[in-house]
Amino acid sequence: MASSKASRLGEEVWKTRMDKVNAELVVLTYGTIVAQLCKDFDSDYVEVNKQLDKMGYNIGLRLIEDYLAKSNTVRRCSNFRETAEMIAKVGFKIFLNITPTITNWTSDGKQFSLVFDENPFADFVELPDDGRAQDELWYSNILCGVLRGALEMVQMQVEAHFISDVLRGNDTTEMRISLIRYIDDELPPEDD
Amino acid sequence: MATTIPSIVCLGVIGRNNNPLHTSIFPSYDPSSNSYHPIRTPLQFSLILSSTLDVFELRSHQNQAAGVGLTGDFGLLHAVDDRLAAYGFETNTGTRFVVIVDMRGRRIDNAVAAGFADGRDKRIAGAAAGLREGEMRPVFKAMQAVYIRLTQNPFYDPDEHSSPLGHGGKKIMSKKFTEDMRRIGENWTPGITNL
Repeated sequence: MASSKASRLGEEVWKTRMDKVNAELVVLTYGTIVAQLCKDFDSDYVEVNKQLDKMGYNIGLRLIEDYLAKSNTVRRCSNFRETAEMIAKVGFKIFLNITPTITNWTSDGKQFSLVFDENPFADFVELPDDGRAQDELWYSNILCGVLRGALEMVQMQVEAHFISDVLRGNDTTEMRISLIRYIDDELPPEDD
Repeated sequence: MATTIPSIVCLGVIGRNNNPLHTSIFPSYDPSSNSYHPIRTPLQFSLILSSTLDVFELRSHQNQAAGVGLTGDFGLLHAVDDRLAAYGFETNTGTRFVVIVDMRGRRIDNAVAAGFADGRDKRIAGAAAGLREGEMRPVFKAMQAVYIRLTQNPFYDPDEHSSPLGHGGKKIMSKKFTEDMRRIGENWTPGITNL
């Protein structure tokens, strides 16, 4: 699907079919979750990242159905580039009303970056000033899990992680996504 | 002689338990040395801030009796001397913002002053006539906005700073908050409507 067509689709679904909630509800709820995780795990940020990713994974497994229904998707993406377009211009658009930029493709077309110009989760956020959070915590790590879970449900095993975040003082917020393999539909076990 | 206009020399944020949360101090103009430096020491500013607390208390009792002004501008709290004056604002949760203004805190060029002497520039009018009612409103609005931003940060724990139970007592450590306060203090001039 052409890139402009994906944008139009995202725009239309966002306008006509999505229920909206107050942005502050989202910001504060997600912020509370992350802050509480940091407390519960005694500021073990590596573990917090892992938990966020796990939560996201569970969200992704469910969210993909909603995505497919709302976007009226009737066929598979023909390649990973198209998948990237749909993630950025339809997926992020309809659920978060943002359109991250797709860049930095590897030549084999299996890895790309999503650059977030805005991140609705991170409004107002300032990472704890304990000298470690700035280096260890990926505040929006739940998004990585969401993508991993959602794509797994449509036969794509991917690996996703953040490589920079404006909250840490980087210039951009960038997520790296790599396709590991297409999962073959498993055959039903033989009868005898 | 250079013309001087009012400027902010100190911004204070005070918690509901009368605990200091934040203090920013700004230099003011000293004509004898033609340079900028703080007109009082940090301790003296802290004492001026403390001395406003009784006024806040008094006004808020008066307001309560009159059934008005739960959140709002308390106006001029007290005039310290012929240069310094303290203005206050209290939110519904009991957080107070205090602005200390130096009536001759900033120097402006004579050329600029002459160009605006016909009253087109409110900065000069303000300097001549003292500050008008409501002159501090944009400052308080900006401070409140910055404070709201701070409380929205999930890693900021209000209980550590001014808990309703009377514990806490931590100061605000946020870099962004400090930076924003500095921006407000440095950019304000009389007559400005938006910070």
